[in-house]
Amino acid sequence: MNDLLSQTRRHFFSRCGVGVGSLALGSLMARDAALAPKKTHFPAKAKNVIFLFMAGGPSQLETFEHKPLLTKLNGKPIPESYTKGKRFAFMDSSHRSDLLGPKIQFKQHGQSGTWVSDYLPHTAKIVDDISLITTCKTDLFNHAPAKLYMNSGSGLFGRPSMGAWVTYGLGSECDDLPGFVVLQSGPRGPRGGAVLWGSGVLPTTYQGVPLRNQGDPIVNLSTPKEISVAQQRQVVDAVRELNMKRLVETGDDEITTRINAYEMAYRMQTSAPELMDTAGESQTTLDMYGIKDAKETSFARNCLLARRLVERGVRFVQLYDTNWDHHGGPTENLEKHMPLKCQDIDQACAALVKDLKQRGLLDDTIVVWGGEFGRTPMGEVRESTGRNHHIDAFTMWFAGGGFKGGVTYGQTDEFGFGAVENPVHVHDIHATMLHQLGLDHERLTVRSQGLDFRLTGVDTAKVIKDILA
Amino acid sequence: MTSGSQRGMAEVRRKLWCFLSRIKGVCHTPMICLKLPLSFLALSATLVNAAKIEFNRDVRPILSENCYACHGFDPKHREGDLRLDTFEGATQDRDGARGIVPGDLSKSDAWQRIISEDKDEVMPPPKSHKTPLTTKQREILKTWIEQGAKYERHWSFEPPKAQPGGSIDRFIQERLAEENLKPSPEADPATLVRRLFLDLTGLPPAPADLADLSGWSEKKYKALVERLLSSNHYGERWGRWWLDQARYADSNGYSIDAPRQIWKFRDWVIDALNADMPFDQFTIEQLAGDLLPKATETQKIATGFHRNTQINQEGGIDKEQFRIDSVFDRVATTGSVWLGLSIGCAQCHDHKFDPIEQKEYYRLFAFFNNQEEPELKVYDPKVDVKAINADFKDVQTKLKTMMQQRYAEVTKWESDMAKGFRDKLTEPVKKALAKPVEKRSLADNLELFAVFVPRNDPLYILKDRYAELDTQINKGTTTLVLKELPQPRKTTVFIKGDFTRPDVEVTPNTPKVLHAFQKPKTLPNRLDLAKWLVEPQNPLTARVIANRVWQQYFGRGIVETENDFGTQGTAPSHPELLDYLATEFIAKKWSLKELHRLIVTSKTYRQSSANRPDLIEKDPQNYLLARQTRLRLDAEVVRDVALTASGLLSPKLGGPPVYPPIPDGVMGQGQVKRVWSVSKGADKYRRGLYTFIYRASPPPSLTVFDAPEGFNSCTRRIRSNTPLQALTLMNDTGFFEFATGLEKIIQKDGLETAFKRCTARSPKPDELAVLKKLDSLNAARVLLNLDETVTRE
Repeated sequence: MNDLLSQTRRHFFSRCGVGVGSLALGSLMARDAALAPKKTHFPAKAKNVIFLFMAGGPSQLETFEHKPLLTKLNGKPIPESYTKGKRFAFMDSSHRSDLLGPKIQFKQHGQSGTWVSDYLPHTAKIVDDISLITTCKTDLFNHAPAKLYMNSGSGLFGRPSMGAWVTYGLGSECDDLPGFVVLQSGPRGPRGGAVLWGSGVLPTTYQGVPLRNQGDPIVNLSTPKEISVAQQRQVVDAVRELNMKRLVETGDDEITTRINAYEMAYRMQTSAPELMDTAGESQTTLDMYGIKDAKETSFARNCLLARRLVERGVRFVQLYDTNWDHHGGPTENLEKHMPLKCQDIDQACAALVKDLKQRGLLDDTIVVWGGEFGRTPMGEVRESTGRNHHIDAFTMWFAGGGFKGGVTYGQTDEFGFGAVENPVHVHDIHATMLHQLGLDHERLTVRSQGLDFRLTGVDTAKVIKDILA
Repeated sequence: MTSGSQRGMAEVRRKLWCFLSRIKGVCHTPMICLKLPLSFLALSATLVNAAKIEFNRDVRPILSENCYACHGFDPKHREGDLRLDTFEGATQDRDGARGIVPGDLSKSDAWQRIISEDKDEVMPPPKSHKTPLTTKQREILKTWIEQGAKYERHWSFEPPKAQPGGSIDRFIQERLAEENLKPSPEADPATLVRRLFLDLTGLPPAPADLADLSGWSEKKYKALVERLLSSNHYGERWGRWWLDQARYADSNGYSIDAPRQIWKFRDWVIDALNADMPFDQFTIEQLAGDLLPKATETQKIATGFHRNTQINQEGGIDKEQFRIDSVFDRVATTGSVWLGLSIGCAQCHDHKFDPIEQKEYYRLFAFFNNQEEPELKVYDPKVDVKAINADFKDVQTKLKTMMQQRYAEVTKWESDMAKGFRDKLTEPVKKALAKPVEKRSLADNLELFAVFVPRNDPLYILKDRYAELDTQINKGTTTLVLKELPQPRKTTVFIKGDFTRPDVEVTPNTPKVLHAFQKPKTLPNRLDLAKWLVEPQNPLTARVIANRVWQQYFGRGIVETENDFGTQGTAPSHPELLDYLATEFIAKKWSLKELHRLIVTSKTYRQSSANRPDLIEKDPQNYLLARQTRLRLDAEVVRDVALTASGLLSPKLGGPPVYPPIPDGVMGQGQVKRVWSVSKGADKYRRGLYTFIYRASPPPSLTVFDAPEGFNSCTRRIRSNTPLQALTLMNDTGFFEFATGLEKIIQKDGLETAFKRCTARSPKPDELAVLKKLDSLNAARVLLNLDETVTRE
């Protein structure tokens, strides 16, 4: 194929009296030029990202923020000095603002003595491999805008998401799968939907491709059932042959790109189902992730798929797990549902970090855990126990990719309401992640209508050096 | 909540809006650069004769890119009290130092700083992340200062000059001659016919249109142009061009993304273009149709243009905030669509690059701040009431059965309800609960289920569909329009674009940098603004629109940054040509059809698109147009071509949006799952522009080919080329069905006919040989997948 194409090219240009050598149009058989691996701004610590997104906003107070005073003052009103000047979603006079103590115990774990609640016994075992930031801060308190904000640095629809930025900045190292892949678990899609992995002002080439758990893993991946594998190959071959003839006629390089696109599409038809087929994974591995049925969609299975994707060179993998919105409604309360949600993800998150580590992939891969925001120290009056959205201080963790292990960064007040030390804005998180990938967030820009867009917005964002090895 | 907290939030919003804000104009900018890295500037550097420096062409781009952010129009960010955007500023004596001393490099401070080797001195400073000026750029600045540092007003703010004796071919060929390049020969007749069909109607020619090309002549070509310009499909093709800019879609956007009815606006656009409504009137009716004396229903429908903004239906939001957001969007869209200016930048601060003050931004804002946003009830004979009723009955039955089977859930929920929670329920729910179970109506039960059933439950999804159909039956066809308030709202400047921080009050007015605004005796309104936009003195509108029409034909505008004619935009590659088109457009009474005629009858347009060795070397990206350009078809046209080739197309014009088959699971991609009940009969095979577009979960077969989602105004589509497109054309249910249609044609009329239906030409023997190796179905699939089939050559 390679030879044939370059012969074709040579034919075209020799016919026209121009040697191939005089062309600076890039390697002919390179994958889609837009996705070719690119040079970083400075040497990178990490190559890939796996973002474990707990959609809905997991409570930091039931997981990583140990606040004994909150337990002690359970049911007492929060001092007004905390709430003055704050705005909350759905907060009106009928919503009380009494402090709500967590019902779960916290213990210190690992050599670092990191506090973790008993809801997360497996995560507790990897604390020495992760950096916790307890003072994460975002700007928007409704789900969809806040999710967009965490993904694109903006609450507006139509901006490039982080995965698109990273693929745009670094290109892809995978020939038969998209550079940016999205996996979903939980009872519904994340609020905001497909715009969360959109490419905004960047070309659609960089858009996240959702790998679906039912039907085709990628939209239109499978050959129509009336068509055999052999026939599909014949079709791809014939399309290539005729397209090459057209390339010779017209000298239009876009045809080369299209020929390559068909080859990659054809490879994806095999590689994507192969990726999804976990039959080759050992029982030990499945057990480590806590996968009960390897055919059944679950966060645990998605974690395993994330590892398989990174192994295959996929740049950015994002997992969404929904229903972390524990207001205290009928299906999302803190007493019953929060522990179940934690169970869904705890073992698999820890397994993913361990698995990547034992396969030597963790050094190259940033694993991120978090949601679009956290939850208030005060309870809410609903059917049962819950907390409201909170944007001033919430917890995320980072592992691998040059992040330190055993670190807890940032200090919140005694209720976990706000940062008293080292607040970390979403834009700082983005800047830090890009930094590890060898990208300067101020230089990773795209020119649009006379302005330079970037992931981290106009205000100054900082790289959090203290959590970097 | 206190005003302090509002301020906090709004500060946040300001950050969101700021630099990103309102770049609504671009859905996707010159992304093509990624593949074709050489920019026009680089080209001009090699082509421009440095001896005769022109400020606008040569100097301004350098200053604007590298200096104006700190030494430009915006006083708040000006460094060292030096401005370089005006002659006065640049030459002003600042304690003995002067930025530029005309004719004297050694005394020109700015020049000395540019050539400085001290990294604390050199300009632009390394910390600005600007790359140091290139040797070429320095040479230009040097020569310019030596020649007296003459400034010119930015080219686009000067009215276009009439070009007596001008023509498209003259301007293109003169420029080519400067580079010793020759234009390409005319494309062969079949290619030309297909090109014209696709460009003017978005449909490929039928075999009959290609039957007799032997006596091809100028006369035949022009007759075809006339035929196609008067085809109703012309309005569909160019309507979609306008709908991109109008950010049209069929749902409310944001996360809930409920369906809306505004397709009457889409049909209005198609009809207006088919009637060749003069562009000035086209503008006035869309921006202010409701304010015209004795406004007709269609003139009111036209105001839907600015109702294509998103509507946020989330809980817990501040409605005023989102109303203001939609006004921001209207200002920005008006700015980029008609003026080609990034006016939105001045929402938070004086524009850094273009002479637009923040206060002027809010004066424009004031025009758009005085509307109600109602639904207009309209009658349309195209609505198939019978089909809607049938669908409604079907959904009703399904819902009844489902609720009956699951009634235990209601009972359980009722008994499990926490104390005190009952008081917080809404009135309709309380009413329903008060009735005994057997007395509860369908509506009552829907209310009850809706309280506890999650949004993605089949019952809830069906309930949404029920409500949608119920509205269609009981309210009929409606469309979103603007209606002026009897008493205008007060408009103020918002500090940093923050709606909770009003500053001084302003009244409607237009930016000073542009032509004068004839103020009426009463407070000016949208109608006055609309008229001002299309006054012949306006230096921008005619240029911007002509450029955007040109862009459709050649893949790139004469001004490449089609939505930024300001100082940060690129200079026109052919300034006289742009002025010629703009002045002709106005002189021909703003007739778009005249403009199309002018372009498609030119030799430049009719050239072959084949690349040439000399061009690969001298102008690989075809800025100078020594040939035509091959363009991948727009998303909708990819569909339309396949539909037509396979003989399945329903040519029906207008009417409610349709639901062709889409892959399973797509409608679950948005936050709220929606029912997609596939259209029956001919409506399955309608043109792409009639497909229902949910902004949050648009149809993949369109978005994969870069159709915009309608989040914001799209003035130029990107043309990506990806494996997902290949998967769509090969495997998508819709395209597979088209292939089976084409298979029948192969069986009946032979491979050659089928080939011709896709490409407008006969296959060569070696091509035919490739196809003959396949059975007819797979040969049909190959034909629909050819690069040539999805490309306008």
